[in-house]
Amino acid sequence: MSSIKGKVAIVGLGVTEQGKLPGSTPISLGAEAFKRAIADAGLCKDQIDGLLTMPGTTSPEGPLNYLRLGEALGIDPRYTGSMVMGGGTAGALIQNAVLAIEAGLADYVACVFGDTARTGGSRFSRASGWGDSWGLWGMFGAAANSAVAASRHMALYGTTSRQLAEVAVACRYHASLNPNAVMREPITIEDHQESRWIVEPFRLLDCCLISDGGVCIILTSAERARDLRQPPAIIGGIGQAYTTRNMEREDWWYVPHQKEALSRAFAMAGVGPSDVDVAQLYDNFTMSVLLWLEHAGFCGVGESGSFVEGGRIRLGGDLPVNTAGGNLSESYMEGWLHIVEGARQMRGECGPRQVEGAETCLVTGRGMTLNCSNAMILHRA
Amino acid sequence: MTKSTENPAAPQRPLPTIDHDNRPFWEGARASELRMQKCCGCDHIRYPITDLCPQCLSGEFEWQRLSGRGKVFSTIVFHQVYHAAFADEVPYNVSLIQLDEGPRMFSNVVGIPPSDVKVGDVVEAVFDPVGEDITLPRFRIARAG
Repeated sequence: MSSIKGKVAIVGLGVTEQGKLPGSTPISLGAEAFKRAIADAGLCKDQIDGLLTMPGTTSPEGPLNYLRLGEALGIDPRYTGSMVMGGGTAGALIQNAVLAIEAGLADYVACVFGDTARTGGSRFSRASGWGDSWGLWGMFGAAANSAVAASRHMALYGTTSRQLAEVAVACRYHASLNPNAVMREPITIEDHQESRWIVEPFRLLDCCLISDGGVCIILTSAERARDLRQPPAIIGGIGQAYTTRNMEREDWWYVPHQKEALSRAFAMAGVGPSDVDVAQLYDNFTMSVLLWLEHAGFCGVGESGSFVEGGRIRLGGDLPVNTAGGNLSESYMEGWLHIVEGARQMRGECGPRQVEGAETCLVTGRGMTLNCSNAMILHRA
Repeated sequence: MTKSTENPAAPQRPLPTIDHDNRPFWEGARASELRMQKCCGCDHIRYPITDLCPQCLSGEFEWQRLSGRGKVFSTIVFHQVYHAAFADEVPYNVSLIQLDEGPRMFSNVVGIPPSDVKVGDVVEAVFDPVGEDITLPRFRIARAG
């Protein structure tokens, strides 16, 4: 397992404007992000011989997204495909890229996502469940599943809405330092408490944004990375895990697979939570950050609420989390921007939001009704 | 919750499509019974409805009547209207019910204000007709004893 430790690096980052981008399509945004990423890396497009994509929620071609994007970019990759795992996709594609590069199946892999969820018609309000969907009982939308987790966490451990607010406030503060973030106006815990209910125990400010935008992340071997334009972010460890049995498991709501994914990534990298200088934790809702903190071992089970109090996860705190603003305030690119920010922190290029001297970053992702999770350890080169 | 079928122009609430696989569940609900699949291979009682037992992969099962009793495992309150048919029902409760026989199911706890439902409340099934042929299993706070 340790054979891929430190062997592959993130070397190119491309991010489009984010937010409300009428006239864009998932392909146009993905292509623009690709252009920016190859320029960032100092590569030309024909050097990209791996193309891995996530279809946007509004992409009509669905999992044939890799074909359409390859056509749009005019490239002929020797390793390609699309994956659909919601917020777990970005990390899973990066892991595929690591394996492909280390196996020699491709030298420069571009992972690409473009979406117009904001202007192209959100699909996040659908009912979830199987067969006779839970919508029969009025169970709709992405927030509900995480709200179920939050409700039980609150009941078991006394976690409060004001503690959830700490996450929203920290992310917004970080977004205020990020020129490309969508929501940059700082907020307070009181602002959170006064925002309207969406699905109790979640208020509006517990929920992520819905955004248009594109992201491209280019990877190559750590050895080739030395010859490129940017300081590489070295991938020290990766891990995935799933809970496919869903409600058959009593602890399903607690997303136990996250702990497994994290353990695998930590073990491969040979580090632990005390080595992490900065973390980018998937935040579709505020509650998700609390669960990641527990699963990663930054605090004990049930202790995440008090852990985040007093600005501990804000810049300047013990563990800065989501330093670009996260899904909650930067933009909802389903976790892609968490990886981008992790790599930027390792490059040391984040300006006012740079975590001074940061050498190790944890990045996590999760998708599909709490099912799919992954974790990655990045190091400064 | 009330029936939403009086006004033909009103948006229709989602209703199940009755098929071979789920007919016993919905026929049970019409008869005021909560019925779920019990595996003939390992006795595991499962929900949602599936062809194979997720424990032992046996395809043999029988429909078993459950007590309808359980506890609130988690509970949330919808304020946001995600489906037009629920516009007049917000705020409404959705709870994950831990049934005494093992399975968990999403449903509604009715009969008390939606935010008064608490994790751990003991509940029992009630059967609420929502259409000509469809009766939804819901739950209320269990009476003492």
